[in-house]
Amino acid sequence: MGDTQGAVFDDIEIGQYIPAVVKGPMTTAHIVRWSAAMENWHRIHYDWKYATEHDGLPDVMVNGSWKQHVMIQLLADWAGDTGWAWKVAFQFRGMNVPGDTLTAWGRVTGKEQRGRFGVVDLEIGMLDQKGQEGTPGTARVVLPLRGGPPVPYPFDPAILDAA
Amino acid sequence: MSETIPDYITPEVKAIIGAEAPPITARHAVESSEVRRFHQALIDNAPRFWDPEASKRYGGPVAPMGFPVHVFRRTEEEPDPLAMMDQPDYDGVDRALRPGLPPVLVPLKRLMNGGYEYELFRHARPGEGIVLKSRYADIYQRNGRTGPIVFVVIEDSYETGAGEKLLRSTNTIILR
Repeated sequence: MGDTQGAVFDDIEIGQYIPAVVKGPMTTAHIVRWSAAMENWHRIHYDWKYATEHDGLPDVMVNGSWKQHVMIQLLADWAGDTGWAWKVAFQFRGMNVPGDTLTAWGRVTGKEQRGRFGVVDLEIGMLDQKGQEGTPGTARVVLPLRGGPPVPYPFDPAILDAA
Repeated sequence: MSETIPDYITPEVKAIIGAEAPPITARHAVESSEVRRFHQALIDNAPRFWDPEASKRYGGPVAPMGFPVHVFRRTEEEPDPLAMMDQPDYDGVDRALRPGLPPVLVPLKRLMNGGYEYELFRHARPGEGIVLKSRYADIYQRNGRTGPIVFVVIEDSYETGAGEKLLRSTNTIILR
């Protein structure tokens, strides 16, 4: 298996959605597996009594730290091994709990050729199964032009200003 | 009875705005097994994390892009966070929000992660050291309907031990 060809700048249209990344249904086990992997002992992620009675939450919480990596995965999967997910920003506005199925999504809002590469702006987010948005944000992805070289790795933004 | 909203941005809190931590190196280099646990917990089995053939662009298998954010594990010199779990109000989170930065001493019980802005340059690889430089960019209070909320804005820069840029982040922590 070699490099995965990601999206090509010339094919991108403003307004298009990129392939979504779906996770879930989430369970307490998924949350505990993540909390243990990163050694996060915040009680709201595994102590139901503390989460509901002390903090007044509806249940234990899906980690914001986990959701952020899903947002990065959304962009990295789309960019493949030929592009680069350069910038990603989001706010954790919604609470997600066991039982939720989460869909990370992105929609192209702008595109610009810079040097030998293309820069694509997106709005991004993460919907639960009820269609509620919990993680709104923006992203900027660098893609190759059709027939052009892949985006060099490691990524250096200076390549966008080179002729 | 009139209620006065407390100002949590005390002179002591103001004094740490702009505070910079010295560069801190994670206690151990990136390990293949912790990378595996990390990407499996993310439910992301992209071949670049484990397949030498599929990761040639990156010089071999790499950690997920945001991995360096979580490598600053508790060292043997630091207290065990689980030792305080018998205290009913203890939430399990150290108020020293980054290694090398002073704690934000605000008596608000709930801590939430408000969000991130990331700029990404390079994946970390197993065997590489991770160096973090952190700074309190701002600490401010807003008074909402549910009471005072304190926002802590932290700028982080992650590099390899050899000084190669990995990522930069701006993280907003919410205390309420």
